Amino acid sequence: MKLLIGQILPYITVTLFTLGILYRLGRWAGARIVHNITLSPWLQTNGQVAVRIGSEAFLFRNLFRFDKALWAGALLMHFALLNIIGGHIVGFGTLGEEFAMIPGLGITPELSVEMSDLLGSVFGILLFVALLYLLYRRFALENVKLVTKPSDNLWLIYLLVLVGIGNIMRFVPAYHIHYELVYEYMAALILFQPVVHMELLESGFFLAHYLLVQILLIALPFSKLMHLFGMFAERYIVNRVYHDPAPGLPNIDVAAARKAGLGVPAGDAAEEGV
Amino acid sequence: MPEYKGMVQPQRATPDDMRKIHIEPVPDELKPEKAIEFLDQIRKKFRSFVMAMESCTKCGQCAENCHTYLGTRDPNNIPTNRAELIRKIYKRYFTLEGRWFGKLVGAEDISLDIIEQWYSYFYQCSQCRRCAHVCPFGIDTCEVTFIGRQLLHWLGITPKLHASVGAAMERVGNHTNLPKPGIVDTLEFMSEEIMDEFGVEVEFPVDKPDSDIMYIPSSADFLLNPYTLMGAGMYFTYIGANWTIPSTVTEAGNFGLLFDQYWTQRGNVMRLLNAAQELGIKKIVWGECGHGWRAAKMYIPSLADRPIRWPITHIHDEVADMIRKNELKLDPSKNYKPVTLHDPCNYVRACGLNDNMRVLMRASVSDFREMTPHGMDNFCCGGGSAILFDDPEMYQRRILLSKKKAEQVRATGVGKDGDGILCAPCSICKAQLYPMVEEHELGVEVKGLIDLVGKALVWK
Repeated sequence: MKLLIGQILPYITVTLFTLGILYRLGRWAGARIVHNITLSPWLQTNGQVAVRIGSEAFLFRNLFRFDKALWAGALLMHFALLNIIGGHIVGFGTLGEEFAMIPGLGITPELSVEMSDLLGSVFGILLFVALLYLLYRRFALENVKLVTKPSDNLWLIYLLVLVGIGNIMRFVPAYHIHYELVYEYMAALILFQPVVHMELLESGFFLAHYLLVQILLIALPFSKLMHLFGMFAERYIVNRVYHDPAPGLPNIDVAAARKAGLGVPAGDAAEEGV
Repeated sequence: MPEYKGMVQPQRATPDDMRKIHIEPVPDELKPEKAIEFLDQIRKKFRSFVMAMESCTKCGQCAENCHTYLGTRDPNNIPTNRAELIRKIYKRYFTLEGRWFGKLVGAEDISLDIIEQWYSYFYQCSQCRRCAHVCPFGIDTCEVTFIGRQLLHWLGITPKLHASVGAAMERVGNHTNLPKPGIVDTLEFMSEEIMDEFGVEVEFPVDKPDSDIMYIPSSADFLLNPYTLMGAGMYFTYIGANWTIPSTVTEAGNFGLLFDQYWTQRGNVMRLLNAAQELGIKKIVWGECGHGWRAAKMYIPSLADRPIRWPITHIHDEVADMIRKNELKLDPSKNYKPVTLHDPCNYVRACGLNDNMRVLMRASVSDFREMTPHGMDNFCCGGGSAILFDDPEMYQRRILLSKKKAEQVRATGVGKDGDGILCAPCSICKAQLYPMVEEHELGVEVKGLIDLVGKALVWK
């Protein structure tokens, strides 16, 4: 098990994840934007396009405009997830001392580790709660229930289990994993060194968490989770710059036409008199 | 065949009707297999379709934003579920997750029943793009139903209405089968009407060589919406334009957009370009027609087989430009009744006409009241994409599809005293709303926007 999950699978995961994403992006790029189907009112500059796509991708603009509850739940979930992914990379990469590396703040390495722990705890809980809410609405709201497929619920449950195990390791002291263990393990893995003997792999919770993450990464390119990239590909189709052709009709002189009385019958004055 | 296993369906074109528009219907037993073949061809071409198939997360936000679902409460009319009718097949045949996990991810085998389902639900979609407008990703279900209808068309399943319009367009150049003598007669009659009602001399030149402007009216304006064509005639006369109407294209609409974006739509485009070349014109101006204007403005550039030598604009854009420049004298008090504006979906979400329509409106009427929501957030009239079917079952459905619009109109209060005006500057909107304002007893009269401009012109 340790050999499979800890030593062999990670390389397979990275390969399948990378190739899978390239395959899916290539599949999208292979089909063209045939007609201009941008949504109006049109954006006039690439700056506006960046702001629009950015606000949709990072602030969920449309959800905010049309469904505040979903906006709150979805934004919370994605924001917490982003921080947790970032936290895993930066936290393990610097042994939790990332804040001490910011010059001028005077944060000690010890304080930085405490801050990392706190942030990890907060976002771990927030992510779990937000996922619960998203799952709740799939069962509680009629319209959402009507569009839900089994896999939509399964993905949420999968993430809840994955995050739940992460939270157990964070909150139950007996199962806590120290930054150093992960750091050493990852370093060895990157250098293609044997890792099977390492202390980290003794933890059952870690192995479970790690396995779930790897399955997630392998499945991601082939699942709905690709909406991470789909967001930008789709937005690029409907939100692009378009300039209206200039109005103005050829050989028109309205003032002259009115002066000549075009359309006004010759005997009009008499008609009024009658 | 207005119903199939409990699903409403528009009356379909006969095999002979289909042959008139160059389609040999596929026999029923071959339909499923051919459907997959056609789908495989088309999915490799349209990224908008691929993205709609592959990036929906089923958040459900589109549901309450679709007038079809609001009116019918049929789960298959939720935009993402409507797309799912084809997505389940797409997944099953063209994705790894669908092949491996089947029902779990909602994948399903193709069958004749599913094709019939497509026919029912893709022709209940108005292709108004409100779902694209509200979707967090911008997924455009309109692209899905466009392609769904294309597949159905290739299989030989097209509503009689759409097929006969396609055939009429090819034969005479308009949707109503009006030949050139009929066009000239009608226009002469309109000149007389204008004289009687507005006391103005207006001539409608047909096929006048070396004109500067080629005006493309909706053919419905010859019969159903005469004041729109009369308004345009008065406007062109007022500004002293050297204009003409081509007898070979007396149609602003292009139903190709709605059921066959290949031959039918392209054929109409080339017909237009031929007319422009023959008449030696300098600019093409489009009449009031929602889908037709979208087809012209956004699709001619990608469908024309030759370089396009003429700029194409919409009459609203031109009138708005002149109003902004203070070149037109308009008297809003001539239109004193309360007016509300129904924004044609294609104008506001696909053609950017939002502001210009309001420039015309404010200059031409004295009591203008906005609907809620309006502009790009507007709801469709329920007839969008020409689902104006008259068979009894489908007609009942049209009443349901216009329910949201009726609520909106009622809320403005314009019809309170029974003398309101519902301005709907699009032929399909007009055709849908003429009967619907009666069905919903809204106390309003349906009019175009150029109608109001024409009436407000001050001639002396």
